[in-house]
Amino acid sequence: MTLHSKIVIIGSGFAGLGMGIQLKRSGRADFVILERAQDVGGTWRDNHYPGVACDVPSHLYSFSYLPKPDWSRVFSPGPEIQAYMRQCAEDEGLMPHIRFGTEMLACRWDEDSALWTIETSQGDYTCNVLITGTGHLADSHMPKIPGIESFPGDLFHSADWNHEVALEGRRIGVVGSGASAIQIIPEMQKVAGELVVFQRSAPYMIPRWDRAFSEGEKRMFRRDPSTVEAMRSEIFWAGEYNFAQRRNVPRFLNEAKAMALGNLERNVADPDLRARLTPNYEVGCKRLLISNAYYPAMCAENTRLEASALAKIEGSTVYGASGESYDLDVLVFATGFEAVRPPFAARVFGREGISLDAHWDKGMQAYDSIAVHGYPNLFIINGPNTGLGHNSVVYIIEAQVNYILEALDHLEQNQVRLFEAAAEAEDAYMDRLQGRAEGTVWLAGGCKSWYVDERSGRLTLVWPDYAHSFRDENGHFHPEGYEMVPGPLAAE
Amino acid sequence: MLDDLKYRDGEVSVAGVRVRYRVAGPDNDRTPLVLVHGTAGSVDGHFGYIFPMMAYRQKVIALDWSDTEGATLELADLVAQVRAVIGDAVPVGPVTLLGYSLGACVAAQTAAELPGKVANLILVAGWLKTDTHQQMRNRIWRALRDQDSASITEYMTFCAFSPGFMNMKSLPEMVAAAGMLKMSGFVDRQMDLNTRIDIAEACETITAKTLVIGCTFDMMVPKHHSKQLFGAIEDARYTEIPSGHAVVHERAAELFHHIDMFTRAPGAHPAGTIIPAQKP
Repeated sequence: MTLHSKIVIIGSGFAGLGMGIQLKRSGRADFVILERAQDVGGTWRDNHYPGVACDVPSHLYSFSYLPKPDWSRVFSPGPEIQAYMRQCAEDEGLMPHIRFGTEMLACRWDEDSALWTIETSQGDYTCNVLITGTGHLADSHMPKIPGIESFPGDLFHSADWNHEVALEGRRIGVVGSGASAIQIIPEMQKVAGELVVFQRSAPYMIPRWDRAFSEGEKRMFRRDPSTVEAMRSEIFWAGEYNFAQRRNVPRFLNEAKAMALGNLERNVADPDLRARLTPNYEVGCKRLLISNAYYPAMCAENTRLEASALAKIEGSTVYGASGESYDLDVLVFATGFEAVRPPFAARVFGREGISLDAHWDKGMQAYDSIAVHGYPNLFIINGPNTGLGHNSVVYIIEAQVNYILEALDHLEQNQVRLFEAAAEAEDAYMDRLQGRAEGTVWLAGGCKSWYVDERSGRLTLVWPDYAHSFRDENGHFHPEGYEMVPGPLAAE
Repeated sequence: MLDDLKYRDGEVSVAGVRVRYRVAGPDNDRTPLVLVHGTAGSVDGHFGYIFPMMAYRQKVIALDWSDTEGATLELADLVAQVRAVIGDAVPVGPVTLLGYSLGACVAAQTAAELPGKVANLILVAGWLKTDTHQQMRNRIWRALRDQDSASITEYMTFCAFSPGFMNMKSLPEMVAAAGMLKMSGFVDRQMDLNTRIDIAEACETITAKTLVIGCTFDMMVPKHHSKQLFGAIEDARYTEIPSGHAVVHERAAELFHHIDMFTRAPGAHPAGTIIPAQKP
């Protein structure tokens, strides 16, 4: 049986929930959200490793229209963020719209009916408008390590943490030194008999200004919502200030570098270890990380730093690229996500029957960072050039949701059955973005990062400007960039 | 690997003194932006953030004031310097003129004198006429200066930043920031000029499309001054930033946002509009 909805949303993370809430609030009830797991929350549902938390303060990393006065900390732990998301879905009456345990397998555009058909693990759906909200951090990246199958101990990815595995007193290896790794490492150091950290490149690390909110503060936030709004605004604009580092302006880059290297110097006394923890690329080229616990954990007696990538595994012996070897019981891969080539793209087939992934063989691109020529009636939230190195992605999601709402208004008012980004508009948009990206720290910073597509050397993941400029430019629908075919909407 | 912004330095002579300025950014459909700093300021001191970031958007020109030879410093002296730089750097076509603090008073007066040339005007934390509240603060400053008090820079810092911003820093950090302020005879003369500002009549004649930016927690030039400018200038719109007087440091990115939006489309909001803050 095929079920029809006017709108189908893929995913129930911040993007899918934010979209659903605003559809509902705008009086649209004819939509479903397809979710492959059994709960909402996206990356905050999947990432439940010890120490998981967000790098953006909670009062900003939340929906602007659903403030939460009782966040426990400045940077609240991951489970609290997921609980917030579930609460939002329940309070806004979204749960009846969500189809859990329903994995999208393929989306195919049918030109004649002007409908998308979505094949799922639970049968087929059709819709007039397809909206993907699958996120940048949805599918784990596992490096191909020779001999990995021979490892006799416990081995898992950080986003698929196996809580059954006993860790106390064991020899644990953590692979990676990115945002997840630096949260996991201090937790592993506490319990491991011996901890080995495999670091391909050292991160820049600045202090985390974290603390618990007092009961009095939470009551103040409840009693006077303007205090939450003021704090949110303060956090946001402080984050925006830091775009000057990404823009590569020497004065601000040097400020950030001094802060990070000063932090390293204060926390790591051993000159040899300090040298191996010093990055060899420009600050901000990769994500600037925040932690108070990482350096102390790296200095602990039971921690060893292997300052080279994990190279091969022979049984329980694990080798760094340096040739150094370690015998380990547990191996945790904190190796990040498939962000530059998002797996959803391999499952979305447009007018020519070609997958988005194949279409994007030189890297992702979209008009207004949301729509792709050849893929009509599709909006991609959190797709190409929407990532930020310096601020909250929830803000970007809200801008894109607003764009889609305005688009839907336009389509309804003008009786449009088919819309599609114009090829010239898409190319012109990308040229403008690449022009802006030139000289930024991501392209000129001398590092290999998940922000840049290796195939084209283009910056395809990150929005190369201020977050507020994203909203100014892409927070409103631009009908002039689309080709539209009038007519009544098809219904099954 | 630093992205060193290409800029050129210029220099122009006016009334026997040399005035230096800096130019950067591409020529495009935006009107060249001229930046005028405030008391005890400089291009780097007040526009260290705005100058390079706006230069990624458009052509930007910023000047450093030079001390004059007269017995006292007059508003007309600074206006003459700004006029000379505009004439030298942008001989043809209109400019957008931005002034901050005392620089806003200079910019407003300049706009009144050059109605065709200054097409757009941005006044950040400026004022129309020095009032008792400002005179009182200036008097305390004068006393500290006469006593050669070491506390003078801390007093200036205390007045410049909002409590909210200061509370995100530690006391030693704020004291260190104060230690970076340098006193000079030229600063003394600017502080004296600050007690005598009255551009009320000139503001009535300004024809430029104007954006007035007040700072909610400004203790040096409280926001009622910006509201007065908003009222006095015919084609003015108003917005507010939740910052102290030192908005160029405290809320540099939000200030950038307003400048960027206005220089992109100066007429986007009709005269009389109070532009709401963007709520993130």
